[in-house]
Amino acid sequence: MDRFFDAVASPLTGRALILALVALPFLAALALPLLGRAARRVALVVALLHLGLTAAVVFFASIQISARAELAGAVRDQAALRFQPGYVPGDTAGRHGEDNRTGWTLMSLAPPSPGGKAGPAVQFFLGVDGLNLWLAALASVMLLPAILVSWDAVTDRPGAFYGWLFLLQGAAVGAFLSFDVILFYAFFELTLIPAFFLIGRWGTGSARRDAARKFFLYTLAGSLLTLVGVIGVVLTNPDPVTGRVTFSLPDLMGNVSFYLDQAHQEALAGRGEKLAALQQTQGFLFLALMAGFLVKVPVWPFHTWLPAAYSEAPIGVTILLSALLAKLGTFGIIRFVLPLTPDAAVMYGLPVVGLLAAFGIVYGALCAYDQKDMRLTVAYSSVSHLGFLVLGIFAFNAEGLSGATLHMVNHGLSTGAMFALLGFLLDRYRTTQAGRFGGLMGRFPNYAVFFFLVALAGIGLPGLNNFVSEMLMLAGLFAARDGGAPGYGLAVVAAVGIFLSAWYVLTMLRRVFFNPLREPEPADAAVRPADVTRREFFAFGIPAGLCVVLGLFPQPVLDTIKPDVTVLTKVGEAARARVAGVPVPAEPESPPPPKAPAPKPKDKKETPKKVNPKKDAPKKDGKNPKGGEEDEG
Amino acid sequence: MSDPIGLALAILGLPLAAAVLAALLSWTKLAKAAHVPLVVACAAAAVLGVMLLLKVGEGPDYRFVSTPVTWFSAGHLTVNFTVTVDPLSSVMLAMIAFVSTWIAIFSAGYMHGDGGYGRYFAVMSLFVFSMCGLVLANNFLLLVAFWEGVGLCSYLLVGYYFEKPSAASAARKAFLVTRIGDTGFLLGIFLLWKMGNWNTDLTALFDYLKDHPPDQAELTTACLLLFCGAVGKSAQFPLYVWLPDAMEGPTPVSALIHAATMVTAGVYLLARCAPLFVMSPDAQAVVAWAGGVTALLAAFLALAQTDLKRVLAYSTVSQLGYMFLALGTGGAVSPAFAVTAAMFHLFTHAFFKALLFLSAGSVMHAMGGVIDVRKFGGLRRLMPVTHLTFLCGAAALAGVPLLSGFWSKDLILESLTGAGASGRPYATGYFVLAVVAFLTAFLTAFYTFRAYFLTFWGPERVPEEAGHHAHESPAVMTIPLVVLAAGALFAGAVAEPFTHWFSNFLGHTPSLHQAEPAEHHFDWTTAGVGTALVVAGIGLAFLWYRKGTEGEPAGLKPAFALSRNKLYVDEVYEAAVVRPAGVLAFLSKALDGFLDALARLIAAVPRFVGDLARPVQNGLVQFYALSMALGLAVFLTFVVFRVAR
Repeated sequence: MDRFFDAVASPLTGRALILALVALPFLAALALPLLGRAARRVALVVALLHLGLTAAVVFFASIQISARAELAGAVRDQAALRFQPGYVPGDTAGRHGEDNRTGWTLMSLAPPSPGGKAGPAVQFFLGVDGLNLWLAALASVMLLPAILVSWDAVTDRPGAFYGWLFLLQGAAVGAFLSFDVILFYAFFELTLIPAFFLIGRWGTGSARRDAARKFFLYTLAGSLLTLVGVIGVVLTNPDPVTGRVTFSLPDLMGNVSFYLDQAHQEALAGRGEKLAALQQTQGFLFLALMAGFLVKVPVWPFHTWLPAAYSEAPIGVTILLSALLAKLGTFGIIRFVLPLTPDAAVMYGLPVVGLLAAFGIVYGALCAYDQKDMRLTVAYSSVSHLGFLVLGIFAFNAEGLSGATLHMVNHGLSTGAMFALLGFLLDRYRTTQAGRFGGLMGRFPNYAVFFFLVALAGIGLPGLNNFVSEMLMLAGLFAARDGGAPGYGLAVVAAVGIFLSAWYVLTMLRRVFFNPLREPEPADAAVRPADVTRREFFAFGIPAGLCVVLGLFPQPVLDTIKPDVTVLTKVGEAARARVAGVPVPAEPESPPPPKAPAPKPKDKKETPKKVNPKKDAPKKDGKNPKGGEEDEG
Repeated sequence: MSDPIGLALAILGLPLAAAVLAALLSWTKLAKAAHVPLVVACAAAAVLGVMLLLKVGEGPDYRFVSTPVTWFSAGHLTVNFTVTVDPLSSVMLAMIAFVSTWIAIFSAGYMHGDGGYGRYFAVMSLFVFSMCGLVLANNFLLLVAFWEGVGLCSYLLVGYYFEKPSAASAARKAFLVTRIGDTGFLLGIFLLWKMGNWNTDLTALFDYLKDHPPDQAELTTACLLLFCGAVGKSAQFPLYVWLPDAMEGPTPVSALIHAATMVTAGVYLLARCAPLFVMSPDAQAVVAWAGGVTALLAAFLALAQTDLKRVLAYSTVSQLGYMFLALGTGGAVSPAFAVTAAMFHLFTHAFFKALLFLSAGSVMHAMGGVIDVRKFGGLRRLMPVTHLTFLCGAAALAGVPLLSGFWSKDLILESLTGAGASGRPYATGYFVLAVVAFLTAFLTAFYTFRAYFLTFWGPERVPEEAGHHAHESPAVMTIPLVVLAAGALFAGAVAEPFTHWFSNFLGHTPSLHQAEPAEHHFDWTTAGVGTALVVAGIGLAFLWYRKGTEGEPAGLKPAFALSRNKLYVDEVYEAAVVRPAGVLAFLSKALDGFLDALARLIAAVPRFVGDLARPVQNGLVQFYALSMALGLAVFLTFVVFRVAR
């Protein structure tokens, strides 16, 4: 049995799975337009197949990554300061080894040098680590509700519709899994094309073409600046030994920290010009890199494309836009901005971007409250929640980054589910105007259960997923070393944001689910709209169920996130030291001594071990002061 | 099963199982039996609760902490599933289980035949589970989880009659107003987390802070932020406004959630965090003053309410204020004494206030849902059992000597007079607060008996909505009333004044300093003054309302009108908070339009430039030839002149 497991879990299988994860949606995108009415069934089957592949990847990779977590704590040299993608297709170490880099070149910029070594090249560098594993899984999961709510709603050329849908998903998965900066950028931009056609061609509103154009141009304008930033980073950070430029993100991270370290040593010795120059360059690169991501997230005031796009797009597409594409922005910040321009992220992260994000939290909540269309309420709530997420990222410490990474998944689930639930009303009444509904709790009791569950997840009710990640991000803001008083200020705004989300969501619930029954003209006058169908049960139940599971048992996810967050945390510690002009602390950000003996792999969370009362009291007293000593050092 | 942690977890698990079972039942044809799981679970939990009390009382260990199991952990933040059993939590647990058993039985009769029977009992069970979890939790964020859990159940039950717009607004208001407090609560927790060596487990955090005294200003801030949460949950000034509206829910809900258990969570929180508050006299003073202001204000508002349930709701607010008054004296008198006074009042209050609400529910049931005291009267003969039980509850609430309320109120008054005479910081303030407390005692006696006389005395009047319901309630409702009435009469006398069971037991709680044992002697002056005021209040009510109709003298009409209109506090909040927020939302939306226009304007720049240049590309070959020729000419001229020079 063990040998079978080893064979299945071998790197080779993992690489094949990763390739399939990206390739399958693209193949489906090619094939589906050829089919007519049958497209939706095929699409569903392919989506389920993709989900199966994802489940396999998650299963194998999470074991592998969690095992690496032990290692990451021990290694404290420079090699630890780079991401370590696993399951890299075309790994240069051959069939069974892993050295976490690929030999598959897409485009060579120069002929091989005389020594026979390859010149700088854009590579087809895919892989999986703790940061992208769950996002790739999210991309796979959320396609299901997207297909299921489009089941009856899309009748116009369904083959093409589902084809574009898969292209969108494939591009998102590709972007999440990329470790080559240019490859990431290509996938990142590729998402625009399917989104443009899906909004413009199949949109439900009258202004869909305008919305599609605005979405396309606005995000393109931002991301072209990001391209400039990417190229700038690549050119300013060649390999210190060979002088060759590289597009591989792990290598770039190593180079960046090498140059910064060197300059830091000089600065500590009294010659600070080099460090100052590097940090100035970083400032510009930071701005350029952030431009595209700020629009994509979006952070206030670059959000104006969002309400139109979310409300004009067909609801299935809105699910993917809100669950996946918005996450590309925040993911880009974590994956590229933090490691490639760490000093600038410390200097301008919380003070500038954080301020915008904090403003956006309150502003998005206020806008959400005043909307009549529930789709717009949810759209603006996204602006508010993602502002919180950006704050969590720029806290740049273990709590904030873990919370932010987890929150990307959580927010994708709950917001995607929310849009799926609005699809229920669109199917039956062709409207989501809150004012036209009332008393639906009695009319559709099962629908109400789902809606309440997802809405309460959105406002951060404990036991549901968002609570965990929001608490972690809040803790991150409190623990922000460089934050001090402003850090507390941002934490207060974030906490107020949690309150405001309850304010607009409960107002919406009161209007729609309470009060005497009120329903608009049904879309099909002959049929009395019925409660949740079996198809919808799965469309709502899958994300809603995951909301509950992730709310109660988030630790497995956090365990896989940990090694890569540790890497970023160390990068952050070093950057903070450089900005403050002090040596890097010898023992950066030591993980706290576990107050409890870490839970042994034991599934039943509900049954803490029964303790002999006689033994318990002295044991506990002995333990606490010890915990204190270790942490104070 | 014999160890305390196991017992506590069993008590926690029972209502959760009941919630699941009731939810499943409500989907089947057996929905009519949805009350069975809750009643059985609560009864079993009550038995286990008594066993737990005995077990904990044995000593010599009085604190049991379960092995922590990680819920989530990253960086410095580790949040555990862990529970603690000590005298404080076991008293709460037993009280909750006992009271909810009888309220569950009462509910079975009260909600009989209602459409949402299954939903009601599922949420009630979930509530009992969350409440038990709240008192057991030994981790701040776990506590928050249950804290929000009871809030959610309260929201769902206040909005139980979801078709009623007033119930819908009340539910939302209840959730949102408490959430304002919870925002502060969360911030306070994280501040403590940062101060307390990244601990979130209560016992570990308190132990650490005891050994490493933190910065005084920071500690006071943290305490006050925690108190924010208590203010919201326990409906203290200025966040009390949600509780009277919450009476829109079914009456047993008001009895359980909005009188006996959930609203006392704030008091419990402060009792649990007493080790922190003791270190901060400033925070203590704020707590005492907030309690004093609330006690007096709510008593005044209760004076002239015509809705029987609202009288009781304001009285709950006022009594909770009383408890905070006691808690606020924790630094000036022995903390054990202050906490005992507050917890003892919480304990007796649970009996008599639940009883009063259930009696009011019995009246409401008979009157066909009418609860306005102006529309009925003289129900003495129509509903003899309800009349007597209401009288017991009213007398206990008013503080008639020898009944439960008398003893606990006396303890609070003693703590205040003691604090006033202690010579510690803010002693003068405590003296003023003692006067406030006496005044409140007088008002309490008056408004309670006003409601009693208006409902049960005078000529018999029954509203037409009552129909054929106008008779005494069935046994399933009256038996719980009788049981709780016995509690209201005797629980106080048995537990404290002669035996000192309660204070001795609670005094064993390790988190309360045991250095100064909580010895106190019955103070005849305090009791005498208190009794005189109670008699005066009841006498005045008898004088004005014995005919069963409003009879206050004309000179006091304006004051009563002010009380009836709730001092216009709701209107003030509407104008000062709700409206501005709406306006702000509208302005944000307008600003959003402006931002969109700005983005479009910037996007239009390339087109504008294009428009300027477009005439050049007009498609006329002659024009292109001409411009080529002209261009060539200019170029040649330039070259010629450059070269020639």
